Amino acid sequence: MATIQQRDKAQVGHRRIAMGLLFGYGSIWIWLAINPVNRHDWFLENLLAVGLVAVLLLTYRRFPFSLTSYSFIAAFMVLHAIGAHYTYAEVPFGFWLKDMWGLSRNPFDRIVHFAYGLLLAYPLRELLVSRAGLQGGWSYYIPASGILAQSGFFEVVEAIVAMIVSPELGSMYLGTQGDEWDAQKDMAAAFGGAILTMLITAALATCHDAREQQPSHRSAPSVVHQEGSA
Amino acid sequence: MSRNKLISVGLLVWYLAVSVWMAQAPVDPQFWLLASILPALFVVLLVVTHRFLPLSHTSYALITAFLTLHTIGVHYTYAEVPVGLWMDKVLHLGRNHFDRIVHFSFGFLLAYPMEELFRLSASIRGWVVYYLPVMTVLGLSGLWEIIESWVARAVHPELGVTYLGSQGDIWDAQQDMAAALYGALISMTVLLIVRALRGAETALESEAAFSE
Repeated sequence: MATIQQRDKAQVGHRRIAMGLLFGYGSIWIWLAINPVNRHDWFLENLLAVGLVAVLLLTYRRFPFSLTSYSFIAAFMVLHAIGAHYTYAEVPFGFWLKDMWGLSRNPFDRIVHFAYGLLLAYPLRELLVSRAGLQGGWSYYIPASGILAQSGFFEVVEAIVAMIVSPELGSMYLGTQGDEWDAQKDMAAAFGGAILTMLITAALATCHDAREQQPSHRSAPSVVHQEGSA
Repeated sequence: MSRNKLISVGLLVWYLAVSVWMAQAPVDPQFWLLASILPALFVVLLVVTHRFLPLSHTSYALITAFLTLHTIGVHYTYAEVPVGLWMDKVLHLGRNHFDRIVHFSFGFLLAYPMEELFRLSASIRGWVVYYLPVMTVLGLSGLWEIIESWVARAVHPELGVTYLGSQGDIWDAQQDMAAALYGALISMTVLLIVRALRGAETALESEAAFSE
């Protein structure tokens, strides 16, 4: 009985924090939706973002992510909302970095591509492990590969949109800022971020397993007992 | 030598023969060397893993077909493959499309071996069996474009994208990735249909056996 109550309490806590994240993101999003630099670009950038939030809300009951995952997703969405507000190429923080490091371009969009891999590889792994039964070494490689694939897919979609909307403007539209390797660098940034997260996740999992291993003789029977009573 | 082994060895011999033949006087020796390193490592990997993770003959044959196409392309630096030039002339395409065809066949021919690899070694189930190969093909295509861009900047920084056989197309990388994606999607759709038909067949047979 105690375990069921504990579980209910944990569920309520989970929902409360998840709602808090949604509320926080919603407030920032509304604030940044007021008077964006370019309303048309802001609208295009937010189509996918609103879609993703809707999917997360609709699937919350059937498949709640861990709070770690929700926090990562919320952090990425905030970065994206900031980029959409300033059309990425004109984010003030990016200009500040550009001046400080003496760069030739505003690096904010590259940072968000990196953050895409860094922050979303973990939720993707969680989804694949629990829904597809991914195990072992594959469960670290496939999320990184998935982030790279999604980045590539995103570049392809961008190219198609640009070719339809403004064939003569070409790469100007995409915020390549005159770099012919922009697509490759964006993908590499996302892949690098995903690899970093997967290495950290693997390291933490190994440490965790090592710690579990030591008192296993004593804890094993109590685990069985708990499962029986629940 | 058993029949199983004969097929694998036959495919390996075929690949080695094609490689040796295509290694004779390549159009651009430096490009040939750079582009031949990865396939060579890949073949070594396949030979080494053959013992404890044997793939089906279908998979090995598909991989060999892809590597054969790649070997031909590398010999002629892709942009000058005679078949592609001929196609350009007949169909008025404006460029040599052989590299695009090989990108397509990367997805089309290698999605099935990947599906088999995941099915055998990663204990996955359900729709993910069809989704993961498509995703992996797209991911590896992206990785390939990234590596290409690094090599191009390291070897010929002054040539820029032209070194990659983009043939003056700024969307070359995106179109290559899209070609591989379409190839993988088609092959997974075909696999799904074949399995559905075969599943229906076996279901009918077992039903017939049951009613008897």
